[in-house]
Amino acid sequence: MTTGTPTKKAAKALKQQERQERRDREPVLPELGALGMLRWGWRQLTSMRTALFLLLLLAIAAVPGSIFPQRNIDAGRVADYIAQNPTSSPWLDRFGFFDVYSSPWFSAIYLLLFVSLVGCIVPRTRVHLAALRARPPRAPARLRRLDESAELTTTLTSEEAMQVAREVLRGKRFRVHSHDATSVSAESGYLRETGNLLFHLALTGIIVGMAVGHLFGWRGDVILPEGEKIAASAGTFNTWSPGPWVSDESLPPFVLSLTKLHVAFEEAPGKDFGKPRGFTAEARLSPAPGAPAADESISVNHPASVDGADIFLLGNGYTPVITVRDAKGTVLYREATPFLPQDPNYRSVGVVKVPSASPKQLGFTGFFLPTAEPTFKNGPVSLFPDAQNPELALSVWEGDLFPGNRPQSVYTLNTDEMKQVTGTDGTPELVRLKLGETKQLPGGRGSISFDSVKRFAGLSVRTDPGAPVSLVSALLATGGLILGLTIKRRRVFVRVRPASAAAGPGPGGPAGPGGSGGSGDEAVGAEGAPATVVTIGGLSKDSDPGLAAIVAAVHDRLAERNDRS
Amino acid sequence: MNLAGNANAALYASMIVYTLAMLAFTWHLAARAPKVADSRVADREEVLVGAAAGSGEDQRARPVSPYAAGAGYEESLKSRQRGSIALMLTYLASALLAASVLMRGLAVSRPPWGNMFEFATAAAAAVGVVYSLIARRKRWEWLGVFIVAPILLVLGLSLTVLYTESGELMPALKSYWLGIHVSVAFIAVAFFTIAAAIGALYLVRRRREDKPVKATFIESLPSSAALERAAYSINMVGFILWTFTLIAGAIWAKQAWGAYWQWDPKEVWTFVIWVVYAAYMHGRATAGVDHRRSMYIALGGYVCVIINFTLVNLVSTFVGMHNYSGM
Repeated sequence: MTTGTPTKKAAKALKQQERQERRDREPVLPELGALGMLRWGWRQLTSMRTALFLLLLLAIAAVPGSIFPQRNIDAGRVADYIAQNPTSSPWLDRFGFFDVYSSPWFSAIYLLLFVSLVGCIVPRTRVHLAALRARPPRAPARLRRLDESAELTTTLTSEEAMQVAREVLRGKRFRVHSHDATSVSAESGYLRETGNLLFHLALTGIIVGMAVGHLFGWRGDVILPEGEKIAASAGTFNTWSPGPWVSDESLPPFVLSLTKLHVAFEEAPGKDFGKPRGFTAEARLSPAPGAPAADESISVNHPASVDGADIFLLGNGYTPVITVRDAKGTVLYREATPFLPQDPNYRSVGVVKVPSASPKQLGFTGFFLPTAEPTFKNGPVSLFPDAQNPELALSVWEGDLFPGNRPQSVYTLNTDEMKQVTGTDGTPELVRLKLGETKQLPGGRGSISFDSVKRFAGLSVRTDPGAPVSLVSALLATGGLILGLTIKRRRVFVRVRPASAAAGPGPGGPAGPGGSGGSGDEAVGAEGAPATVVTIGGLSKDSDPGLAAIVAAVHDRLAERNDRS
Repeated sequence: MNLAGNANAALYASMIVYTLAMLAFTWHLAARAPKVADSRVADREEVLVGAAAGSGEDQRARPVSPYAAGAGYEESLKSRQRGSIALMLTYLASALLAASVLMRGLAVSRPPWGNMFEFATAAAAAVGVVYSLIARRKRWEWLGVFIVAPILLVLGLSLTVLYTESGELMPALKSYWLGIHVSVAFIAVAFFTIAAAIGALYLVRRRREDKPVKATFIESLPSSAALERAAYSINMVGFILWTFTLIAGAIWAKQAWGAYWQWDPKEVWTFVIWVVYAAYMHGRATAGVDHRRSMYIALGGYVCVIINFTLVNLVSTFVGMHNYSGM
């Protein structure tokens, strides 16, 4: 231990010295000033490296939203999660982990990304527009140095050789220009950058579409039992969520009645027993009260539409018709009461609230079982999703249904101010009712009957005016992506010189990628015929296996014309 | 006639043939390795001679095709024969697997990719078919073992863990979009898989180019630059198809669920994969970003593809609306 200390100390001193030296050597940065700093910041933000970093950050930031329950998808699951994780969830909530996609940090990333994107495409569009009007650049001095090159000697005159090269390149959709009498410059693949810009521009179009949908779209969800109808207005929906810039009047005043809900479940025993096979809502729809109604069939994947809004069948369940009477037999409550399914076999929960009961208000809460397991030895369980042996199992409460008159859900019973009714033996009363049965409530509180059962359709009426914008943008983006990735930006240059000047450096070498060359090379002006040396060079912005073929095509056509003449 | 039974028989048969193909590909790689050692010596001599001659410009010898085997590597007759045998076996196995998928589709009268088992099988078939289509033309026998082994792994796992009797679909899946959205998705996955295999080989080849060690079959592969370009091209096709998957999925979601985008876990991961591959494309296009770093991003994207298919489907944390396949 102790022996190590001096060396360690020395090393430390050395390191410090090094650090000091490095600090001295560091260049002194010029003062940028406020404007300079802004410009520097903008450059950083719009650089490709920043875009790359932001993209990766966006990918990482999106992940928590798939791990933690999200309020925008299922607020109920968020509430359950918070109840189960009382220590961590307040912190998660504070940092927006239950609303990831509307959280400040997620928004910050994608907004920065889009600022960076716009900052990138605006100057690039300007450059590209200039490039579209510009001529191909002058041929560089040494064409053999380019990515692909070839050389041959031909008996064509230099003018003829250049004409042949121009023809070939024009045929391959190159833009061709000669800056001087001995060279041809050609460029193609402008669509690559056009596609790139289109792709990025279209991405902003998707975002615009999403924003439009958010601001001007709306949705209303409703649970509609068979045989009932709704006249659409903000109040008739169980939940009505308009966009910030939507007024309730923009809702089309359609009238929808549910004639019947057809369901099919797998009845063959086996692994798939009880699996859903089809749901179809048979409905009548009229665009306005009093207008003629038409038959509509709404099923999963087949929404109906009315006045720019779509009606989706998103759920279904049962509404047992329940009647509650007082001791004298007066009907206090008779309603098709929706029970919400909790599992694939449609064990459903629901509530009956009877505020007119006296002396105390009555509340019932419990289960509806479409195919009840008769013994209840594992509690109330449904064996099959279809209504083959329907049964209600309800506990009875009395007291104040609406303590403090606070708003509450129709699907839950607030038992803060209520007491569970017990039977004669003092245990909590459980009322079990088969279809058509009536049971007396203990203590002369009256009776409850299970009259019939109907199905309900969970319908969602939605409009999203931004969706077409997003769709068109997405398709344009795909088109732009394909252009930008597959098209190559290529430049091909051709230079001619008289053969006599060709006895320059090097032995000529193999005549390039065409392979068919070589034949003409050595026969330089054998009979003193006018001979021209043609050099072809090709350049591509990216790895480009097709470039060689183009250079070879020019070479081969020149060789061919040479043979013919 | 029991089509579903025949489909399973064809599946088992394809696994047997794939196993043989894998062995043949390994045998082929074994024939490549010692040959490399020879050609490397020859290579070095050639370079020395060239340097002596002093014509610097023409020394930039390029392989005829960027995808051809590495410069200086001459494939022996033995290794070529073995490669051909392995390829023939791969064609046969892929045809059997494709037939199995087709028969299953006919047996259930719907696109045969309605649950995880069917998706995995169809994706494996797509990998086999795509590889078969390009392997001969590009002379990619060296890649075979890295394609066939994952196919076998996926088929084995899907038979043991994911197997489901062919059955009818959930109502939400009964749409022609199942044929479009899901098929494009697994074809994209097939391209990503092949690109990931090449990408991993690229990283190995690249490291060994920097620090040469004992020559193995790795040195008989195309140059690292050629491998990188090949992986890029195939990832590019995968990325375009994935973009289409995302859009088709959104259109279908609008029809089935009433909203085209709801940040359902499967949507999130599809988006994450898209963004990661977009980052790869960006990195590849940015001057000054090492291709190796970009390739790591692409391989990270492939890890996301695997997570998207396994964890997101099977782990209850990721409960969402895509969880209806009954596995």
